[in-house]
Amino acid sequence: MSNPMKPGERCDFSAIVDRPPLKLPGNARIVFWTIVNYEVWDIGKPMARQLLPAPTGVPLLPDVVHWGWHEYGMRVGCWRFFELYEKLGIKPTLSANARICEDYPRVAEQAKKAGWEFMGHAYEQGPIHKEENQPAMIKRSMDVIEKFTGKRPVGWLGPGLTQTLETPEYLAEAGVKYIGDWAYDDEPTVIRTQKGPLVTLPYTVELNDIPMMIIQHHESDYLLKRMIDQFDRLYAESEKRAKFCALAIHPYISGQPHRIKYLEQIYDYVNKHEGVLHWNGEQIYDWYKGVAADKLKAAT
Amino acid sequence: MSFPKPPVGMLPNERIAYSPIPQRKPLRLPKGARMVVWTITNVEEWDPTQTMPRTVITPPAGGAPMPDIPNWCWHEYGNRVGFWRLLDVYDKFKIPGVMNINATAALAFPELVKACVERNWEFVGHGYTQRNMQKVENERDDIRKSAEVLEKTTGKRPTGWLGPGLTETWETPDVLSEAGYRYVADWVIDDQPVWLKTRHKPILNIPYTQECNDVAMMLIQHHKASEFYDRAMDQFEQIYKDSSKDAARVMAISVHPYIMGAPHRVKYFRKIFEKIRKKPGVLFWTGEQICDWFMKAGPKAPE
Repeated sequence: MSNPMKPGERCDFSAIVDRPPLKLPGNARIVFWTIVNYEVWDIGKPMARQLLPAPTGVPLLPDVVHWGWHEYGMRVGCWRFFELYEKLGIKPTLSANARICEDYPRVAEQAKKAGWEFMGHAYEQGPIHKEENQPAMIKRSMDVIEKFTGKRPVGWLGPGLTQTLETPEYLAEAGVKYIGDWAYDDEPTVIRTQKGPLVTLPYTVELNDIPMMIIQHHESDYLLKRMIDQFDRLYAESEKRAKFCALAIHPYISGQPHRIKYLEQIYDYVNKHEGVLHWNGEQIYDWYKGVAADKLKAAT
Repeated sequence: MSFPKPPVGMLPNERIAYSPIPQRKPLRLPKGARMVVWTITNVEEWDPTQTMPRTVITPPAGGAPMPDIPNWCWHEYGNRVGFWRLLDVYDKFKIPGVMNINATAALAFPELVKACVERNWEFVGHGYTQRNMQKVENERDDIRKSAEVLEKTTGKRPTGWLGPGLTETWETPDVLSEAGYRYVADWVIDDQPVWLKTRHKPILNIPYTQECNDVAMMLIQHHKASEFYDRAMDQFEQIYKDSSKDAARVMAISVHPYIMGAPHRVKYFRKIFEKIRKKPGVLFWTGEQICDWFMKAGPKAPE
């Protein structure tokens, strides 16, 4: 693609205070959006995240330690998530590497059975910049999930939220309607692509166990503390305008025995409040495309 | 000990002589006040085609891929949403605002500039773009252009300057003085304003802060959000104790909308002012007010 658009060219700058407030149905004031990430870490490649520094500082392949760390999430950690969301009656968004349908059918089947929303999240874990054929990888990911669940995903999140400048066009072309890669606002927005508009949903890099636990090295209970602070503020603001509060988790991190209770306590806290909707990305998108029909049309 | 002289400009100790703070002449604020707090909000525009100055999330398996959309968005959130939360705090506690702003940011975010102009904020020159001053092609042009753009966008030529990331070349103070800036804040060297010699007129340096700064605390040191409040209060209490009506002191607090403007952090910023706004003997000023006061009340500029 020659001369792809820069982010600022896809949307105009907009200060939140200058926009008319969004209004949720009924008496709802805030949407709590849970995103669970299930991935495939190919043992033939460098592992996506590391916990232990490599001995003598030289990363070597295969990296069995971190393969095992992640694999624990798929063997054990994710079942703590399934149990929690079944108990709560929440159907989260599953940010799914398509390859989980092939490598972990037991896990993918469980998510399908539980009615979780499958959101495209590349074929396997690795920065999108290194894909040789990005449009083909995106299409393949969407096709594999569609074949497995019987439904083409509506949403997409790049691995580690990565995009190149051309990615939005490729995604729109593959049938994606919303993306989580642009965590730049508290509200959904519409962005332009040469293949039609995309909606951005307010995903989160701060209320996310990778930055909090693995990059910033906070203690386990900080997941709960930061979430309460985040929710309190957004809830207060939701008196005047609809707010969206996202939480992104990974089974090899928040599914650990020493962390899971803080995740569970988040929902205890949030559910004490009136007017909270637990919607997944597709539900947010379905509602938003109705209220933002004119914006979507203008960007077409 | 003597150090080799740089090819242009001056060594730091040629600009300012050592001076122990307890052995100085009395320095008095109006109405018997003992200290000044100034709060600085930093607004930047991040170039999506360059490596991001800071990151919150790293790509899977590391590296620094380009473009870096997630981290560009993380910063952009500050200007779309986070800034307006900080503004509520300033309004509520009647804190006079000071904004360090890249010239390109003043052009990119006119709504944000307008809200501050309406409130009579002070705008401080902060580079044409968010780039290390040592990597800027022509420092003189950058400094002059920054002042011109701010004058055009805010209606007033800036009095003060803070280098992006506090960076300077050997001759930055000289160039600033020649360009008409009256103060700089890059030298975090003292709790009182100090004069720096330049090859032109001397320039005043006002106490800024790298430690009571959300970049250092939240992004580099990875502290919990509550540390911002804890540290600011510890800093405040000690400077309050150090100060008296004959020994004025200055404290700075520096924030960025994409960091302290996040929903989960803003309350720790707000709590600081709940606590210190009503303390007797504490003035809340802009950098320019500190500069004007010190030029009258402080020691004369060196010859």
